[in-house]
Amino acid sequence: MKKFLIVLRYELREYFTNKIFMMLTILLAVLGAALLFLPRFVDMSDFTGVQVAGNGEAEGSETEGEQTVFLYLDKAGVVRPEILAQMFPKSEWRAAADEAEVRAAVETQEAEAGFVVTGAAEYEYYVFNKAMRDRNTSVFDQAMKQFYRMDYCENSGWDLEEVAAMYDVPVTVTEMVLNKDTESNYWYCYALIIIVFMLIVYYGQMIAVSVTNEKSNRAIEVLVTSTSPNSLLFGKVIAGAIGGIFQMGVLLGAVLLSYQFNREQWGGQLDMFLHVPGEVLIAFAFFGLGGYLFYGFLYGAMGALVSKTEDISKSVSGLMVVIMAVYFFSLFQLMNVDGEIIKILSFLPVSSYSTMFARIAMGTVAPWEVVVSFLILVLSIIGTGILGAKIYRMGTLRYGNPIKITSALKDLKKSE
Amino acid sequence: MKLEVKDIRKTFGEKEVLHGISFAVESGKALGLLGRNGAGKTTTIRILMDVFRANSGEILLDGKKFAPSKHQIGYLPEERGLYPKRTVLDQMVYLACLRGMKAKEAKESAGKWLKRLEVDEYAVRKLETLSKGNQQKVQLAATLVCNPEIVILDEPFSGLDPVNSQILKDVVSELIQDSRLVIFSSHQMSYVEEFCDHIAVIDHGQVVMAGELKEIKKDYGRNRLMLAAENYTLDQLAEKTEREWDAYVSISGRKKEFLILELKENMDRNRFMELMVRSDVEVERFGRYEPSLNDIFVSKVGDEA
Repeated sequence: MKKFLIVLRYELREYFTNKIFMMLTILLAVLGAALLFLPRFVDMSDFTGVQVAGNGEAEGSETEGEQTVFLYLDKAGVVRPEILAQMFPKSEWRAAADEAEVRAAVETQEAEAGFVVTGAAEYEYYVFNKAMRDRNTSVFDQAMKQFYRMDYCENSGWDLEEVAAMYDVPVTVTEMVLNKDTESNYWYCYALIIIVFMLIVYYGQMIAVSVTNEKSNRAIEVLVTSTSPNSLLFGKVIAGAIGGIFQMGVLLGAVLLSYQFNREQWGGQLDMFLHVPGEVLIAFAFFGLGGYLFYGFLYGAMGALVSKTEDISKSVSGLMVVIMAVYFFSLFQLMNVDGEIIKILSFLPVSSYSTMFARIAMGTVAPWEVVVSFLILVLSIIGTGILGAKIYRMGTLRYGNPIKITSALKDLKKSE
Repeated sequence: MKLEVKDIRKTFGEKEVLHGISFAVESGKALGLLGRNGAGKTTTIRILMDVFRANSGEILLDGKKFAPSKHQIGYLPEERGLYPKRTVLDQMVYLACLRGMKAKEAKESAGKWLKRLEVDEYAVRKLETLSKGNQQKVQLAATLVCNPEIVILDEPFSGLDPVNSQILKDVVSELIQDSRLVIFSSHQMSYVEEFCDHIAVIDHGQVVMAGELKEIKKDYGRNRLMLAAENYTLDQLAEKTEREWDAYVSISGRKKEFLILELKENMDRNRFMELMVRSDVEVERFGRYEPSLNDIFVSKVGDEA
């Protein structure tokens, strides 16, 4: 234990005395926090829908802003500009003389877009650059339907309001979500799975590089004669975990606290990513850390199988396939978080770090399931730690060509 | 303290690389482990250090099973290795702490050894910024930082210039005088000859010669003579020896100034001298040959080391 602590301390100094590591951590945290303070200093009401006073406090709902200009050419004689002005907020509708005028106004970007109505239920849409979130046509479709109904009712002598009241009975719904709101939990769950995936891959790679470096600079021969491989590998992996937790903790802490502080100014627009319930964060911490340690030991063992850092990618490729498969599968299964497959995966140590966490965040999961899954994960971490240390011990003094994991396991079996 | 290695055997895969290695060494003495490349020296040392496990055999310290982790051992591996990107002092303290020293004590000891090896000015520098020779000295300082009672040095002189070799020689001599148990392997016979009281020559995974160096030299020189003549060149003398005295002596070697002859069983030095006097050879040099370690090594192992 004492030697493990000596290794841990030495490895931690590698992270905490590394200027690049510390600078990057601080820089990313400051940058993240600064971005979240932006609405206090920059008018982002277009996105947030909130006006901010000079002292940075939210003033409430948006006020009048600049109007968006649209052009229309009504060849069918059905357009009612006052309806369009109601349906497109903060818009100004100008009638065009001909199609050329519509085209020219859009090309010079004097107008956001142009509509040439060619029939009672037909129109052409002119836009310069069509944005991903361009909803103009869908709103205009509704407007065209409205013109059609109005004309039809007038021609038939019907009262449009009466017909509309009959068809569009307003339904009031009050949602009582008794367990999880999958829709609102989806995005931060998605983001946290990406974060834990990045942690595993980034820090896992760092552990593998550190082991291979010790092998290639031959420090390993002195080390293995001074302490046990368990102390060396556990010290290295846990130091990596602490380094990762520190970096991610500072970054996430800065971002989540800054958002909490500026939530009103953001009008709650980032709630889906950054307003994470405490119990989800706790589940993320336990299962994410567990997954990290599980893979960290395997990365350490893989690093010991090669003698040059350029061979690491080859050595960890099998591991990467598993990690990537789990990652994509977890993301796909977020849509069906109570499905049978994700239930099975949430008990497997290779995947429980993301699937059980997703079930906790979005699905229905019994407390015993969480406990059993976590116990399996903990036992697997100890197992991979011991196995990883054995591979590490065996692989560290075998220089030359990369050793295949299958031959390493065979040799281990033989030596026992 | 007496360290005994008894009948160590080691197999890698199907191949047995050590076929029963045995030798012994005591405190205050140095053992030279000699052998050609691939003879099995480093494997023997690694087994001694518990880096590899032997398939059979035993290692005893004062008659009890030897456990390297329970003793302060300074080990300088053949493949030198420290952390190039960490400072010299930092990693020396780390290694000393791993071997059971307290941090403060380790720092003091590291300072002492760096000073003794004349590299104390580099204590806070990163290892990679030092010259190869200074890195080598730092490596030795890291080996000795825990004040080991047993010192195992695998090819300690390789890569050192004469000045640094002298510093290292002085340090090794001090260790021996200080009653440490020293084992070192080397190709360079002159160094072994200088320090070692005992040697063990390993060839193809077995000890082909072991014991006290003085005795080995005496034994080896017992039936050997050096011979040079005023009226014959060495080539002519060699030819004459083979032609006329083949029944009594054989040529076992040749130096720049004389031939080395080995007396056969039916001959002794005095009778051979009489034979010489009766012949036409005008003897320039005749006497017992005192062999060098290199001669002994070559005769046992075959090629020039």
